[in-house]
Amino acid sequence: MRSPKLIVLVFGILTLAGQASAQTNLDDEIKQPVDDDADPVADSDSETESETPQSRETDGAASDEPSGEHSASEGGAAVEEISDPGPALPEGMTLDEVLDLAARPPPEHFPDAIHDDRILAFFLADQLEYRFDGKEEPDVLGWEANFWVGGDFNRLWLKPEGEASFHSPGSVETETDVLYSRLIFPFWSAQVGFQYANEWSAGEPYEDRWSGAVAFQGLAPGKFEVDASAYISEKADVTAVLELEYDWRITQRLVAQPRTELSFAFQDVAERNLGAGLTDVVAGLRVRYEFLREFAPYLGIRYEGRVFESAARTRSGGEPVWRFFGVAGLRFALL
Amino acid sequence: MKSNSPYPDFLWTRRKILKTGGFAAVAGLLPRTVFADNPHTRPVGAIRTLDATQPGGIDLHLHKERRNVGGRIGDVITFNGAFPGPVIKMREGEEVEIRVHNHLEESTSIHWHGILLPFTMDGVPGISFAGIAPGEVFTYRYRLRQNGTYWYHSHSGFQEQLGHYGQLIVEPRRVDPVAYDAEHSIVLSDWTTEDPETTFSKLKKIEGYFNFQRPVTSNLDDQVRNTDMSLGEAIAMRLRWDWMRMDPTDLLDVTGVTYSYLINGKTADENPTFVSTPGERVRLRLTNASAMTAFDVRIPGLPMTVVQADGQNVEPVETDELRIAVAETYDVIVTLPEANAYTFYAETMDRSGFARGTLAPRRGMTAAVPRRRPRPMLSMADMGMMHGMDHGAMAGDGSRPTPSANSGAESHAAHGNESTHAVRSRRGELPVQGLPDMIPHGPGGHGPASITMAENVYRQLDDPGVGLGGDGWRVLTYKQLRILQTPRDRRPPTREVDLHLTGNMQKYIWGFNGEKWSESRMLRFVYGERLRINFFNDTMMSHPIHLHGMWMDLYAGHEYDKNPRKHTVNIQPAELLTVDITVDAPGQWAFHCHLLYHMEAGMFRTVAVVRSLDGEAPDAES
Repeated sequence: MRSPKLIVLVFGILTLAGQASAQTNLDDEIKQPVDDDADPVADSDSETESETPQSRETDGAASDEPSGEHSASEGGAAVEEISDPGPALPEGMTLDEVLDLAARPPPEHFPDAIHDDRILAFFLADQLEYRFDGKEEPDVLGWEANFWVGGDFNRLWLKPEGEASFHSPGSVETETDVLYSRLIFPFWSAQVGFQYANEWSAGEPYEDRWSGAVAFQGLAPGKFEVDASAYISEKADVTAVLELEYDWRITQRLVAQPRTELSFAFQDVAERNLGAGLTDVVAGLRVRYEFLREFAPYLGIRYEGRVFESAARTRSGGEPVWRFFGVAGLRFALL
Repeated sequence: MKSNSPYPDFLWTRRKILKTGGFAAVAGLLPRTVFADNPHTRPVGAIRTLDATQPGGIDLHLHKERRNVGGRIGDVITFNGAFPGPVIKMREGEEVEIRVHNHLEESTSIHWHGILLPFTMDGVPGISFAGIAPGEVFTYRYRLRQNGTYWYHSHSGFQEQLGHYGQLIVEPRRVDPVAYDAEHSIVLSDWTTEDPETTFSKLKKIEGYFNFQRPVTSNLDDQVRNTDMSLGEAIAMRLRWDWMRMDPTDLLDVTGVTYSYLINGKTADENPTFVSTPGERVRLRLTNASAMTAFDVRIPGLPMTVVQADGQNVEPVETDELRIAVAETYDVIVTLPEANAYTFYAETMDRSGFARGTLAPRRGMTAAVPRRRPRPMLSMADMGMMHGMDHGAMAGDGSRPTPSANSGAESHAAHGNESTHAVRSRRGELPVQGLPDMIPHGPGGHGPASITMAENVYRQLDDPGVGLGGDGWRVLTYKQLRILQTPRDRRPPTREVDLHLTGNMQKYIWGFNGEKWSESRMLRFVYGERLRINFFNDTMMSHPIHLHGMWMDLYAGHEYDKNPRKHTVNIQPAELLTVDITVDAPGQWAFHCHLLYHMEAGMFRTVAVVRSLDGEAPDAES
């Protein structure tokens, strides 16, 4: 009962011997366990019979017998099945039939093998916050969110943002970009669509504005999130907004996010108190704690201000030129 | 053979087969409840065995159930009530008949991983067959033309994540060249209570969702302490990674934050125990049935002799630790020197968790459980950025030995005239030794679906992988694998194809050559040819690539006859890895990354083994 096994063992040893003789030709960096006499565990192992310890003993002798390799491989083959069983064919099919079948697409009623083109949707409320004004101006509720739906390359994007004040007189201001987005570089999407903006205060007429929009959105070297948008309004006024943000990860869950938003006008826009050039600066710092990646309350600060010509126009209109807020909010995502 | 076992080896094995075979035959006739998996009657870690070559075949009943897995309650898919599935035994040369009863509410399938069979029996819905509809019974019938340790799993959706897998052992028709007194099946896996669709969705929508081991300000001092970098160097290194928009800790996409790591369905706390008599040669059949997790396996104090890889006998090689990528199998022989307990320790590659069991002469014994090592970081070498860099800078993250980088750089000089194009255009008999050690990546990326980082790809056969090799003990490498018996066909290949492993980790799009499966054409192999595939890993992650139906002869730099053959090859970041394939299996086959969510994100090709390449541009896939 044991003898065939012993024969195999001998073949195994011969094979190893062949390996040893061939090893002089290899510039390998294998740690050779067989030479590792210093290993105390390996030494105790040699008490029991096994291929490994035995091969150690034959190692030296083997290099004197270069023919060992040849006989070993022949011997090894003799143990294993050597006759060619031919190709594995489905029952009742010939080789020709299978080869013909293989050249054709799978049958119609087969499902897809995998589903790598599923349509997904994602909503992220990057900011949903209460903005405390330390001075005489009223507090406001502010939000800025992203929603997308689509595949890997083509998506529909919605970027709603706005703020509302509930002190009398109450007012609401929103801007919503609706964009077709296409992934054009690994980290960058090109987007085209429109923006709808409105403004409403109690007792005043509802004002709104439609604009055409293009955007370039992605992740810049250094892991800066970038969203650069340009707009052309119904009255052909051209404006642009550059948003930059960065996640500074302090711990695995505590993240500080500096964020800035720069607005530009390419001409004066009288009814919006805009002068050509840089018009608005928004800067903020929010520190969030990611209880979950998709659930992170935060505290922070926010500065918003009109600058240059736009500031002058706004000031003459009797409105505040800059405001500073403490903010508390929740960043959350719907997966 | 001397042995302390009460039975001679053969008797021992034979008795087990008879016992389990008889049980399985009876079990097939009984209602499911009678043989439901009962943790109180079976020792922790033991798996039932079924013999699929018994007359009349076997029946597998698939159910989805709520289970308590180590204290967490979630969905599992059970086979005849068991999670994970039973060890299915088969005998080489015989025919199996396996009737799969789908009691799930969705279509299912079983793929016999690594088994050579008619393509209609391969179990890939959409390629081999239409799948097994709910309520349907499908009969798998095929004859075994090989032996060794393999496994089986679902190829439908994310069912694998829920426990739709088990080990498969094909016993050799002749004498097993591996001598052993006892054997244990060890099935490693990852499991979560989360719906795998949700897991996938998180990966798609929030980059790094599961990674809570990122480089952050609070662990900067750890990095300085654990490496030879100064604070300034560490910050500079981090800025470099940020500049490239890469995360050096993106080792595994899904981590211990959501996963429980299991051995035979049991958590580390449950301590599955494998009873082994001191002095006996114990064969551990290791299968990594994880969806997403590579494990680093070691048994402190006990060297392991690797005797089989992916079901193929290899020349015995002794080691202390081995990395088992998803879908790989290794058989190792261990011998307890004395009546002590030893911990079987399987740490995840990213060190975010571990699975653990115990080898001991009797149940109830335990040994110390090692501490997890610090999570390693990828280095610039993983981007193939070794050109013109000094090695100190390359080892900058301190977690990585650099032998391969050294040999790569030297060989690059030696093969300086080898350009990508020169390699591609070769026809006729291709060389079987001395292949280039490094190839610069050609100009241009692979479109928006690929963040191509690797400036060069280089051979890493002697590199055990990120986080390994620096502990002062031996770690297995692919270069150490030498097949025991030379297979029949070792002709030099006559055609070669370059396949780039590509991905956009930010958007979680994965593919080959920048294309997802749904965008790709079938990859055509010619029946009867010897085909070479050069894998270029352009990504920063390791990908276990699995070819169905045919072996891949892994170029390990040996005498050609000694290269091992594998059903799954793990390809490391910036690695150049070459396999030669005897195209002897007509039909259509799946060819994919075995990380479940990479596969479902597009890292998949259909391979058609056809009569000729008529009508195809010669370098269509190159």
